[in-house]
Amino acid sequence: MKWLIAIFIFHISVALQAQARTEPEMVYIKIEVKGLACPYCAYGMEKDLSKLAGVKHVDIQLKEGLAFISVPTAQKPTREQIEAVIVDGGFTPGEIVFRSTPFKRE
Amino acid sequence: MKNIFALLLLLPVIYLRAQGPPITTGTPVMLGLAGSGIRTFGKFISKENANIYVHPFGIPYNISPKFQVGGIVPFKWITPKGSETSGGLADMVLFAKYQLYKRDGKAKTFRILGQIKQGIPTGRTTSSPKIGSGHYQTYTGIIAGKISSKLGLYADMGYNFIPGPAADHFIYNFSVSVPLLPHRYPQKQLNVLLECNGNYIISPEIHTIFISPGLQLIPGRRILFETSVQIPVLQQNVLSNQTNYMILLGTRFLFN
Repeated sequence: MKWLIAIFIFHISVALQAQARTEPEMVYIKIEVKGLACPYCAYGMEKDLSKLAGVKHVDIQLKEGLAFISVPTAQKPTREQIEAVIVDGGFTPGEIVFRSTPFKRE
Repeated sequence: MKNIFALLLLLPVIYLRAQGPPITTGTPVMLGLAGSGIRTFGKFISKENANIYVHPFGIPYNISPKFQVGGIVPFKWITPKGSETSGGLADMVLFAKYQLYKRDGKAKTFRILGQIKQGIPTGRTTSSPKIGSGHYQTYTGIIAGKISSKLGLYADMGYNFIPGPAADHFIYNFSVSVPLLPHRYPQKQLNVLLECNGNYIISPEIHTIFISPGLQLIPGRRILFETSVQIPVLQQNVLSNQTNYMILLGTRFLFN
């Protein structure tokens, strides 16, 4: 009986590890977008950031002037690429922070 | 009495946050619905001796975040009291805007644009009353806006040159816009606006000022609806055919 339980636990852990390996590692990016003063302006910024490779979702916090994106680590954009998107969108880039864990939102 | 009412509308505005593209004033923001959406509206103008309905279509195009060009295609119908309606395509306008200055901060911005508009006399002048002016008109001006979470102020002023005997005139507009719902994105927003629209002709001296309260509903990212009433508070030296009021109902939308 103990052997059966041990084999069962072993198979479960192998399955979980295999599943973890199929999900890519993500990098989470917090972007300060200066000049984001109106909701109407935010739509264009959302579209522009969505065009960065690997970005599936853009979350904009208007009151804080922040945009949050997450991309697979393998497709991590450079700081310069992000700044170019913001400048081309008509805004001014501020601080850009990269992390391996999600940011806490207010 | 209506002047006092219009001024009373301004008081709560000072204590509230301001947002939203102005309805009858220019905006220095050339982004999204604020500046790059297609715009159209119907405007009914009630005057002493005539009723006028104007319906323009404004189509802007952003060449870059700092430079916008576009055109306005207006249609106009005039019904003099006791006469038949005359209408059709009015004078078209081509315009260009360029950002001269920008200072961005956290959830705020201050921008100044230079603007030039060229009116083209495409409106009919052979009908009675005339639909078009019969003149090429050139307008140059600036648009400034200070927009933040606490207060949004817009100013739009310039000079309209008309060759020949027709009088040039100075045009100025001011606007304050206030959100009635909390800021959020994606937005579902309801804004109330108070604007002031002025027109000053130097010779002969004629000065008109309108106070324009308005309402703006933004149900989504790509469309908004707006309405405004323009009430005359000054019609100096307008000896005949004074304006009673103007009502505007319109929309702006983005295709993508």
